[in-house]
Amino acid sequence: MTLFDLAIRSMRKNVKHYYLYFFALILSVVLYFVFATLQYDQAIVEQGNKMISTAFLAAGILLVFIAGIFIIYANSIFLKRRSREIGLYQLIGLKKSTIARLLVVENTLLGIGALLVGILIGMLVSRVFLLLLLKLVGFETAISVSFSMKAVLQTIAVFIGIFALTTIQMIRMVYRNTLLSLFNKEKVGEHPKKPKTAAAAILAAAGVLFIVFGYWLSERMFDTNFFLNIFGVMVSTVAGTYLIFRVTLSWLLYKIRSRKEGHLGLANSLSIAPLMHRLKGNANSLTIITVLSAMTLSMIAGAYSFYYSTEQEALAKMPFDFIFEDEEVFAAEISAEMKEEGIEFQHGTMEILVTGGQLEAGALAVPSDPLYIAVVSDEELRNAGIDIEAPGTASASLHSTSSLSMFMDDERLPADLYFDDLEEPIEIAAFGEGNVINWETFYTQVVVNPTKYEQLKEELQASGSVEIRRIDGFHILNEQDLEAASSIYHQPKYYGANPRQDYYSTVQDGMQSNGLMIFIAGFLGLVFLVSTGSILYFKQMNEAEQEKQSYLTLRQLGFSVNEIMNGIIRKQLFVFGLPLAISLIHSIFALKALSYFFQSSILVSAITVMILFAAIYLLFALLTVGYYRKTVKMALR
Amino acid sequence: MFTKIKEAIKTNKKPDSHSVLQADNIGKSFGSKGNVQQVLKGIDLRVEKGEFVGIMGPSGAGKTTLLNVLATIDRPTEGTITISGSDISKMKDAQLSAFRRDRLGFIFQDYNLLDTLTVKENILLPVSLGKMRKKIAEAEFRSIADILGITELANKYPHEISGGQKQRNSAARALINQPSMVFADEPTGALDSKAASSLLGNLADVNEKREVTIMMVTHDPLASSYCSRVVFLKDGQIYSELYKGAKTRQAFFQEILNVQAVLGGDSIDAL
Repeated sequence: MTLFDLAIRSMRKNVKHYYLYFFALILSVVLYFVFATLQYDQAIVEQGNKMISTAFLAAGILLVFIAGIFIIYANSIFLKRRSREIGLYQLIGLKKSTIARLLVVENTLLGIGALLVGILIGMLVSRVFLLLLLKLVGFETAISVSFSMKAVLQTIAVFIGIFALTTIQMIRMVYRNTLLSLFNKEKVGEHPKKPKTAAAAILAAAGVLFIVFGYWLSERMFDTNFFLNIFGVMVSTVAGTYLIFRVTLSWLLYKIRSRKEGHLGLANSLSIAPLMHRLKGNANSLTIITVLSAMTLSMIAGAYSFYYSTEQEALAKMPFDFIFEDEEVFAAEISAEMKEEGIEFQHGTMEILVTGGQLEAGALAVPSDPLYIAVVSDEELRNAGIDIEAPGTASASLHSTSSLSMFMDDERLPADLYFDDLEEPIEIAAFGEGNVINWETFYTQVVVNPTKYEQLKEELQASGSVEIRRIDGFHILNEQDLEAASSIYHQPKYYGANPRQDYYSTVQDGMQSNGLMIFIAGFLGLVFLVSTGSILYFKQMNEAEQEKQSYLTLRQLGFSVNEIMNGIIRKQLFVFGLPLAISLIHSIFALKALSYFFQSSILVSAITVMILFAAIYLLFALLTVGYYRKTVKMALR
Repeated sequence: MFTKIKEAIKTNKKPDSHSVLQADNIGKSFGSKGNVQQVLKGIDLRVEKGEFVGIMGPSGAGKTTLLNVLATIDRPTEGTITISGSDISKMKDAQLSAFRRDRLGFIFQDYNLLDTLTVKENILLPVSLGKMRKKIAEAEFRSIADILGITELANKYPHEISGGQKQRNSAARALINQPSMVFADEPTGALDSKAASSLLGNLADVNEKREVTIMMVTHDPLASSYCSRVVFLKDGQIYSELYKGAKTRQAFFQEILNVQAVLGGDSIDAL
């Protein structure tokens, strides 16, 4: 029998161990190939957008890392399961080099198979992903996915690299281990030691404290040194998470267990006890999974929020569909042109007082810079179709979407605003959400009532530090006319000093870039979730195999399958629930910090993503429980 | 006393209130059509309360199969089994599980302790679903651990104790639920002779002090000399029975050896 025959035979024998590993390989290939295909697809390349190709490139590199780590990890889990078999080969006198060659042949066959199947499936499903992408980006053109040789070659190159690493891993396993350790590998478990009470208690508390401190700091990230703070938040939450898994959890479990004084009960015997025995070995992977889950979750929720809030964000920046500043001629001309086209619109004219000013010290969390101010009367805004009212006869409201708006909160009100050449400040009684005049004018807007407006106009004119300008604001009344109006507005003849920006094209651009972002984030998130879920599942499969004898004993002692499963499900609540719960809480705080960047609420999108995330974890937990149930049932026929 | 029982078995085949276990015409075959192997061929057996019954016989005689069938772990293909008045051959799987947990105790050759549990946690496992009050369970644990000499080991893990200690731990687990009957499958199989005698002494002790009924499968004549009765199986049938009666253990041991010699020279398990 040649080595090749032996490899085929051993693969056939091992198929029940292999098929999941094979499946994991195929899945990685499919996802990578789809990604590579999209990267080179005509429909996307033709967009000619530099940002798109850069984003794809960066995400592609990240994807290689995730896939590589996942495959190597999965390989190590499955190698452990086969250690006895490898030991047996050595026992019957096969040379280490022969065994290594056997494994290499097996690995090569598996790799070729996975690449073939993966690329084939990838070709079938890439169209679905491309359609999804284009839908998100907002193109609804008929497209066909072209076969990309480049994508095929790139996929093959990447995976040959990864398979080379797993091959090295296998060879090391054969050469580095003694026969004895190979035979005992499957049984290796740790035995919980009594924690040194004082030290353990302190460390256990430290884990919680680190996390709490990280959360606390994340709330104050913008107060002082932003980058130092964000670094502090990361370090403190990661360290805290590790301590929670490594010390706090085992300390807690130890406490619970010793309080039971031996009367542990079946469910605890099947959850607390085995958890304690494997905590040390699992702390690292649980920490990594939790932290990365939290990051992925925040990334997706963030990207989704951007996408979800594109329109609101644009509206906050641009309350008018478009404006002209001191360009009465253009305003008149475009009105005529739109009338001709049958586009219904509302046209309003406002007079603004442009001047400089500054908020009183302490009005903001950050030192306040000089402001470029436009004073406008609420009456004129209402006439132009902006529904707004100044807070009082003597006071004003402040409106902006510049970085300033991140630090505005009502707690610091009222605050005084000093105009450059006026003694008397004006009281700001409210911060408005979003602009009242399109942002391309760069003004921070101060809204007052007409009486106050006239008074300020007089005073400012007297001091000579004011410029009086005219704004023409347009609202298109029917949604279906938006596109036509936008293209009229963008005609070269209307070009002024500033680049023209209007609401409609801003939303379209936002949809495109945010759609791409959500697609890439979602794609990476999916790959990541599937990887971590699979790793937890594979690990639990291993544990189930190791505990088989215990289940047989319990069945013989007269415990029913369901009674045993109760304990096992309780264990899975820890294994899947804890990383999920901690990463959800982490990401809630991360998103809270992130929400400073949004004008609109990201609650809905964040909750949507979190529910989706939890659902995928639940799916893997259910798969795991199913595997356990099978194992327990088969333990005693 | 034992002669009386012996007569009772001969004269009266009907179940009476004294018998813990009554098995009638037990048959068990394995395999499917065309390749059926009959392992047990019509075994009648009755065990009285407080008996310590040994089952002996050459390999392949069906000792372990008989034990498994009687202990409700396996089902007979024919015949009826009654334990403490309950007909177990009519029970469903779930009922059987509950029955095993509440009424029977088990000692296995390779201990089958849960590695992740301490000695005490292992022992209390059968009463872990909370039918027994914690106080009673604790008292029961103390008394059994005392008899078996494992009180000191309560908080140790199985990997920290010797084979003999593990088997006493396993015996304690079998006794904690005050079972009607304890089944032991080659309990001394993995022990050295000193640990084996000590365990057998413990079992005999428990049998006497707590009036626990024990059925033990073994191929070791020395082990079965601790029993009050030894049943010999051959080819799936009862070959003969020996009662210890008032004899010394040495004399009983000699008698067992004699039967074993007749039973089947070369097919006796090598010791």
